[in-house]
Amino acid sequence: MRLTVNGETHEHRGAGTVEALLGELGANQAHTALMVNGNVVPSNDWKTTTLNENDEVEMLVFVGGG
Amino acid sequence: MSDILQIGGQEFGSRLFLGTGKFSSTKAMIESVKASGTELVTVALRRFNRDQAEDDLYGPLAELKNVRLMPNTSGAMNAKEAIRAAMLGRELSKSPIVKLEIHPNPHHLLPDAIETYEAAIELVKQGFIVLPYIPADPVLAKRLEDVGCAAVMPLGAAIGTGKGLSTAGMIKIIIRDANVPVIVDAGLRAPSEAACAMEMGCDAVLVNSAIAAAAHPAAMAAAFKTGVEAGRAARLAGLMPTSEVAVASSPLTSFLSNGDS
Repeated sequence: MRLTVNGETHEHRGAGTVEALLGELGANQAHTALMVNGNVVPSNDWKTTTLNENDEVEMLVFVGGG
Repeated sequence: MSDILQIGGQEFGSRLFLGTGKFSSTKAMIESVKASGTELVTVALRRFNRDQAEDDLYGPLAELKNVRLMPNTSGAMNAKEAIRAAMLGRELSKSPIVKLEIHPNPHHLLPDAIETYEAAIELVKQGFIVLPYIPADPVLAKRLEDVGCAAVMPLGAAIGTGKGLSTAGMIKIIIRDANVPVIVDAGLRAPSEAACAMEMGCDAVLVNSAIAAAAHPAAMAAAFKTGVEAGRAARLAGLMPTSEVAVASSPLTSFLSNGDS
């Protein structure tokens, strides 16, 4: 399934859920916040949220900021 | 004597808040946070990058005791983006506190008052404890208080400039009229300026660049801690009134001339 993840094309080869994508990309789930097509997806819903072809996914972490 | 700062129902023993940006390393940032005695630090959001996992501050900050996280909305160009950033930040911090900042022009990084106001209304509705970073504008500060912001954070000078309390006159007016805490955010360079802000009646200060860009960040963090505490203590002690004419501290009764004639 072709997705756009953080602005780059990504060919997802897993189960098609948000959780599967995070695992595929090696993200620490507790440290990551996520949006699909501009909508925030709470971590409680990652297991059940399925992705679709051409979805735009943003994965974000905390970094230094003032 | 306990001197607790209350913001949106949350209590803080320290009146120094720290930003976590611009440090040379995560270690230097953590040491500075510890030395400052702060109980609230700001963090930003950035896209996950597997090759830069060491930039992820979630783990290092979670290990600190008694330090809460305040995600900011930096990078947001308008109210809609800021609201989105706030929701994402809350997913990670598990806390409703958000530093609302919308400064679309990278040249001066001055806050967009209109977008900030619109975002504040929506975020308050959604249950956030909103601390907006704003120009030192008494009218805007009051309007943000009226729509439910838990504090206001006027700038002392533009972010990262180290120009100090260039807006002192306006900040004094904001303090006089405010019913919510007033926190000077941005522009401070020296602990004396933090002390000055506290003496003026600010409830807290937020410092980042002045510590991160110091030659010895942790030592500067400790210096800011002392400055904030001194300024706050002075405010509570009550500064003496000023006078246009000299008021002698020593007795001026003449005795040295006795016997001259």
